[in-house]
Amino acid sequence: MDDRVIIRFNHVTKQYDNDLPVLDDVSFEMERGKFYTLLGPSGCGKTTILRLIAGFIEPTKGDIYFHGKRMNNVPANKRQVNTVFQDYALFPHLNVFENVAFGLRIKKIGKEDIERKVKEALRFVNLEGYEQRAIHEMSGGQRQRVAIARAIVNEPDVLLLDEPLSALDLKLRTEMQYELRELQRRLGITFIFVTHDQEEALAMSDEIFVLNKGKIEQRGTPKDIYDEPVNRFVADFIGESNIITGTMIDDFVVEFANQQFACIDRGFAKNERVDIVIRPEDLELTTVERGKLRVRVDSVLFRGVHYELCCYDTYGNEWLVHSTKKADIGEEIGLHFEPEAIHVMKRSGGE
Amino acid sequence: MKFSRLYLTFIFFVLYMPIFYLIYYSFNSGGTMHHFESFTLDWYKEVFADTRLLIIVLHTMIIALLSSSLATIIGVFGAITIYYAKHRWKQTLLTLNNVLIVSPDVIIGASFLILFTIAGIQLGFTSVLLSHIAFSIPIVVLMVLPKLQEMSPTLIDAARDLGANEWNILTKVILPYITPGIFAGFFMALTYSLDDFAVTFFVTGNGFSTLSVEIYSRARQGISLSVNALSTLLFLFTLVLVVVYYVITQRASAKGGQK
Repeated sequence: MDDRVIIRFNHVTKQYDNDLPVLDDVSFEMERGKFYTLLGPSGCGKTTILRLIAGFIEPTKGDIYFHGKRMNNVPANKRQVNTVFQDYALFPHLNVFENVAFGLRIKKIGKEDIERKVKEALRFVNLEGYEQRAIHEMSGGQRQRVAIARAIVNEPDVLLLDEPLSALDLKLRTEMQYELRELQRRLGITFIFVTHDQEEALAMSDEIFVLNKGKIEQRGTPKDIYDEPVNRFVADFIGESNIITGTMIDDFVVEFANQQFACIDRGFAKNERVDIVIRPEDLELTTVERGKLRVRVDSVLFRGVHYELCCYDTYGNEWLVHSTKKADIGEEIGLHFEPEAIHVMKRSGGE
Repeated sequence: MKFSRLYLTFIFFVLYMPIFYLIYYSFNSGGTMHHFESFTLDWYKEVFADTRLLIIVLHTMIIALLSSSLATIIGVFGAITIYYAKHRWKQTLLTLNNVLIVSPDVIIGASFLILFTIAGIQLGFTSVLLSHIAFSIPIVVLMVLPKLQEMSPTLIDAARDLGANEWNILTKVILPYITPGIFAGFFMALTYSLDDFAVTFFVTGNGFSTLSVEIYSRARQGISLSVNALSTLLFLFTLVLVVVYYVITQRASAKGGQK
């Protein structure tokens, strides 16, 4: 077996009582030293995967392997894994130093070693000099860092992060995204990050797992997921996009909005019904004569970097356009796009 | 504004007047409670000269401290058990706990009397101690449980995640977190035990008595102002307890609030 693999899920199912499974026959491998993101809407099973890895819950069916060893029944306190919780779960009766030292004290590590390691961990998260502060004196962002320091001080093989940025404001969140990514590079350990924020996922990850209803819809690099979503769900979840149904006439020819267009996809059956994705930034505003599509502008929003235009074609399809050019509401415009901008997906996965 | 202050003063006056009336006459040399002759400390001297009474005071203290300590230990673990119980069980246990608090002391006392008689436990120190522990436990549970419920369950996950076993979780996370509740429960149990009359009245015997029961029987025997003196002392002691409790909780919240 590949010794780079650190975590392996083998047909893992998690089910409570007779409800629908929270996690449905999931198998995957994760390699050491990478930044993974589990992305999906709430209730998709991403936190369940995290809790299974941490050892807070046991799988109903299937096996979980760490370094090739089966870990199903190993309790959480015996695993080389640490978690940063969504609400940070810092101990309010202990100060910053004691919070970070908690795990080390349980391992009965010598006093000087504890002192040195805690200081080092706090330096890692830029919290030097905060040792004696009480938890309630720290701001949200600082608590976040304490939680991270408390986890990494134990030198885990894998760090689990359960939506750790969701409680922070936008500016701090963006800042922490950079810091977390940087931290992962410096530590060189595996990070498994859970989020429902696709921007966060795209910005930070080496690899993203998109989950829906207890199944992995797609795994891949952020670019793969963004550019080549496998189905309607993934395309819809990762950023804004125009998804419409169409027909694959032949290899490299697709029909939608009652017109045929050249595309770069092939390998579909003749006249197969397909889903088409065109990202709003790939649509270009032009005159009616020169456009491949003819649409009427329904609303315009100023988004700062660009205008967001919501348009309808004569068949009732909605087209979202991101453009630096402005158009008036009610105006007829043309939309131009390159054949590469059309992404064709199988319909089976969509609903 | 003016009216409400006046109203409050009136209410507190009504509530405290009998006590102050009693205290006032404990300094009366006249020997009755309707005519104040002159100031004297004779009644207090009589109280302190009464060795039987001092032994009873000692008994009361021992019972109070012992029963509230034991009840606190049992009550804390009871609260933790209720906290971990499955939902349906939790409701049942809580209801059973609350029933014990609201049910009349007379009934509790009478049922303890029957129980001890059947079980063949001699009425005296043991029976009083056991019954005090029993009625204090629900109070401790009631004071501790809210602190437990206020604690985020992820704290326990976090501790486990950091390598803590069940014992570590209990001693390093749960107990420190609920300490204010434990103190509150202990002091409540202490005051309940100190001033309990009804339950103790039923289960005491064999020459053993506590202060409340003693005061009651002396007050029945006839008017002696030494009862007033004794009551005054008891009142002052309760006051001290309240102040101590206040200081402890203030310090605890100051520690939690700012340092």
